[in-house]
Parts: sequence; structure tokens; C-alpha cells
Amino acid sequence: MSAVGSSNPEYVVARVRARRGSLYSDEEYRKLTRMSPSEIARFMEESTYEAEINALGSRHAGVDLIEYALNRNLAKQFEGILDWSEGGLYDLIARYLRKFDAWNVKTVIRGVYTGASQEEVEVDLIRAGEFDDRRIRRLLEADSIEAVVEVLEDTIYGAPLREAYAEYEETDVLVPLENAVDRVFYERLLGNLPGDEPTRQYEAFLKAEVDFRNADNALRLARSGAEIDPAEYFIEGGELFTRDTLARLARNLDELVEYIAESQYADELGPALRELEEADSLIAFEHATDAALLAYGDRLGTIHPVSVTPVISYILAKEREVENIRAIARGKEAGLPANEIEEELVIT
Amino acid sequence: MAKDVKPTRKNLMAIEDRIDLSERGHDTLEQKRDGLIMEFMDILDQAQDVRSDMADDYERAQRTIDMARAMEGDVAVRGAAAALKEHPEITTQSKNIMGVVVPQIESSKVKKSLDERGYGLLGSSARIDEAADAYEELLETIILAAEVETAMKKMLTEIETTKRRVNALEFTLLPQLYENQEYIEQKLEEQEREEIFRLKKIKAKKEDEEAAEAAEAAEAAEAADAAETADA
Repeated sequence: MSAVGSSNPEYVVARVRARRGSLYSDEEYRKLTRMSPSEIARFMEESTYEAEINALGSRHAGVDLIEYALNRNLAKQFEGILDWSEGGLYDLIARYLRKFDAWNVKTVIRGVYTGASQEEVEVDLIRAGEFDDRRIRRLLEADSIEAVVEVLEDTIYGAPLREAYAEYEETDVLVPLENAVDRVFYERLLGNLPGDEPTRQYEAFLKAEVDFRNADNALRLARSGAEIDPAEYFIEGGELFTRDTLARLARNLDELVEYIAESQYADELGPALRELEEADSLIAFEHATDAALLAYGDRLGTIHPVSVTPVISYILAKEREVENIRAIARGKEAGLPANEIEEELVIT
Repeated sequence: MAKDVKPTRKNLMAIEDRIDLSERGHDTLEQKRDGLIMEFMDILDQAQDVRSDMADDYERAQRTIDMARAMEGDVAVRGAAAALKEHPEITTQSKNIMGVVVPQIESSKVKKSLDERGYGLLGSSARIDEAADAYEELLETIILAAEVETAMKKMLTEIETTKRRVNALEFTLLPQLYENQEYIEQKLEEQEREEIFRLKKIKAKKEDEEAAEAAEAAEAAEAADAAETADA
């Protein structure tokens, strides 16, 4: 419920375990890959997604219905976890779930920028972060980017957005604002973590996520050849890169690939790096980082069963379930064969 | 048709002039048609290549965006697309191929680097980059296809028009002029023959009259001689 008071991991972990049991299994994914989008929606209606499918069924149809129901269910599940959590546990979970706040801020900014209607923006929001309904309502009612920045003035995004707004006014592109929001999220993710053993494990996981994000971005920059300073996109807190290393390596793709291949992540990312060299596509690499994080999360959940780690492990698994179902539905909509869709799924 | 023409020497000369002009026009148009067909065949090859590239690029772009929508979600893809500030621009100029004015389409700001696409790098993924890359390539091919196919259509229209003109000269105008020429020539020859015949007739009549007058005169002289003899 709040960061005040003592942690209650026993209660939250017990509830999360119960929810973990209702996540889709490999067999269910295989069934889904052989269904049409409407059959997938019907299948979801008979599982934990029933309420969302029924609530949204009159307004949306097909794969849009599935995607919006998935997002709403994700928000409900994570909101529940934040509601049950107290004390230090709340803080540890909230700092991870703030990525949905960052997502919502970026979605609102993009909506205002392109002149999208309030309803159009609202369906794209995922209310799984810390922002309450009142703040989200105020964000949706903002009619200019300056008004969005004002609404967020008293949040962690306030000062960085105010700073980025000046640059936005000069250039009229959203990149500085979006980067400011993402950067705040990653900086807060690793700042001032308590020092107990489960939290250190959690910290190691977060550092791996930051490392993977830095590696993804460095590879994207190196491959694109764009005239961008790689240090601008560097996220502090990881172990794989320093700002200078990243700036140097992002200018040479071969050196960067070699550096990652020789790092502590060689086992997890090695095959994907070889594929990157052969196919010149970063998708397999991003796939490998996703799978590595998910496996890492699963391992963490079993090492310290009564701590924040099983909760984070569930959050990752739930996110992955949502992404897998969406991938299956969108893949079916696009007419991709079942085996190709199965290849895209990340299942551990 | 030919009966509408007055069979005069002046008209014959005018028709001969028109035949001369039409034959020269026919030869020139035939050369133009052949030249256009050769140019058209080159453009057709190019258009077929561009069409095939466009189909491949479209398939690839559709595939990358399907994968991006599947893996990142529709919302993320729409958001990234909405962030674009500098939209591609197209300017058209024209060039002349054998008298046919065809467009020349110049595009700018189609291919963009990562920093020009408007979405933040930290909150997006390589799938969105690849979809954007694929669509930028597709757009470039579409612009090229628009240029080549418009040129091809314009060339085709011009070939059709030229072919109709050549055929009109070859099968309608020239045969008609030849017919008129022949008709006038025949008529003129006929008139000439009639004139000769008439002159001959007049001459014969004149000769007959002169013979009759001579006979009459001889008769009168004879009668006068006989009277003189009787008197004597």
C-alpha cells in the first residue's frame, strides 16, 4: 500500500504464488498458436482475462480487444501487488513498476504531440505503475506538452522533464523528453537500494537489465551509423559498460560484438551474437537478452523464496505472458505460420 | 469520295503537294513510333524490375511491422510512428523523352537516421528500427515506381497516338489522296481526249464544208462555162 512501515513479503509472496499458478503453460501457448484471434479471445475469456474481455468486448474486437484486455489485466495484477505491499518491499516493487508510469508519460506526450483525442490516448495507457487515477486523469486532460510537464512537476519526472522541455522547444522533436523519462526510470531503479542479501540479488538482476539495455542500444547505434553521441544514451548503474567504454565501442560494431562476447554474459548472449554477425539483424539479440532476463528472474525467485525476488520473478513472467499472447494474436492476424510464431515466443 | 473533287489541274497539283507532305509525315511518324517503342521497351524492363522490387520491399516491410506489432504491441508501434516530425518531401520536375514530357520525382527526408525518427532510443527496440528501415526503403521504391510507371503510361499513350496517326495516314488519308489524284488524272485525260475528238470533228466538218463550197464553186463555174458556150 505504501513505502511506510515494515515489509510484508510473506503475505505478498503467498498471493503472488497463487497468481503464478494461473499463468499460461507451454501447452496452452502451443494451443493458442493454432487458434484464430477470435478463438484466442474466447480462450482468454475462460481464464484470468474473463473480466477484461467482457468489459472491453463491446468497444473493441479482434486482436485490438486481446491487446487492450492484456494491458488492462497486466495493470490490474500489478496494481494489486502494489496494494498488498508495504514498507521496503513496496519501494522495491514500485521502482520496477515505474516503467509503466514512464510508458504512460511517453504515451500522453506523443498523444498531445500528434493531436490524438483523449479517448485514443487513454486506451493506450497501462495503469500498472505508481500514478493514481487522479494524476492519470490530469495527464489526459493536458492540452499541451508544457501542461504535461506541469502535471508531473511534483514527481521524479518533474525536474528532468522541465530541463528536456527547453530542448524540445528548440528542436520540436520528442527525443529529449522521451529520453529524459526513460533515463529517470533507470536511474531511480538502482539508486539507494538496501543492503540485505535478497536485495543484492535483485540489484544484480536490475544491473543485468541495465547492461542488456545498454548493449541493445549500443548495437543499434553502431549498426545504424547515425551521428549520435553514444554517451547520450548511456544508462548508469550497469556493470558491463562505463560511459567511456560505451562511447568508444558504439562506433565500431565488430569491437562491440567482441566485447559483449567476452563479457560475463557470453554464455547467454553468445549464440545470438553469432546470429547477429550472420543475419545483420538485432532481433535475435534482443530475444536472447529477454530470455536471459526471464531465466535470471526465475532463478532469483527460488534462491530467496520469501523476499522481493519471487515477486519480481512473477512480474517478469506475467509481462512475458502478456507479450507472448500478444505476439501469438498479432502473428495470427498477420498470417504468420504457427512454427514461426512459436520461435518468437520467450518461454522458460 | 473522289467525285467531290473538281478535276482541275490546280486541284491535281494541290493533291500532289498533299501526297508529298503526307508521305514525308508518314515516314517521320513511323520513325517516331519505332523510336518510342524502343524507349518504351527500356522503360518497361525498368518498370518490371521496380515492380518486382516494390513487391519484395512491401512484403519485407509488412513482415517487419507485423513482427514489431506482435512483439512490441500495436500501441508502441503507433507511438513510435507518431513521434516522426520531419515528413518525407517530394518535388516533381519534368524531362523530355522523344517529345514526351515525363515526370522526374525527387524525394528527400525519406531515409532517416535513428536520431531523425523522433522516438527515443531508450524506450524503443530494434524491431521498431527494422520496421522503420523497411518502410523507408519501401517508400523510396514506391517513389521510383511512380516515376517509372507514369513515364511508361505517358509513353504508351504517345505510342498509341502516333500509331493512330501513322495508320490514319497509311490507310485513310494517303489512299484517299491517291484515289483523288487518279480520278483527276483520268478526268483530265478524258477531257483531253474529248477535246482532241472535238477538234478533229470541227476540222472534219470544216473540211467537209470547204469541200462542199469548192464543189459548189466548181459546179457554178461549170454552169457558167456551159452558159457561155451556149451563148457563143
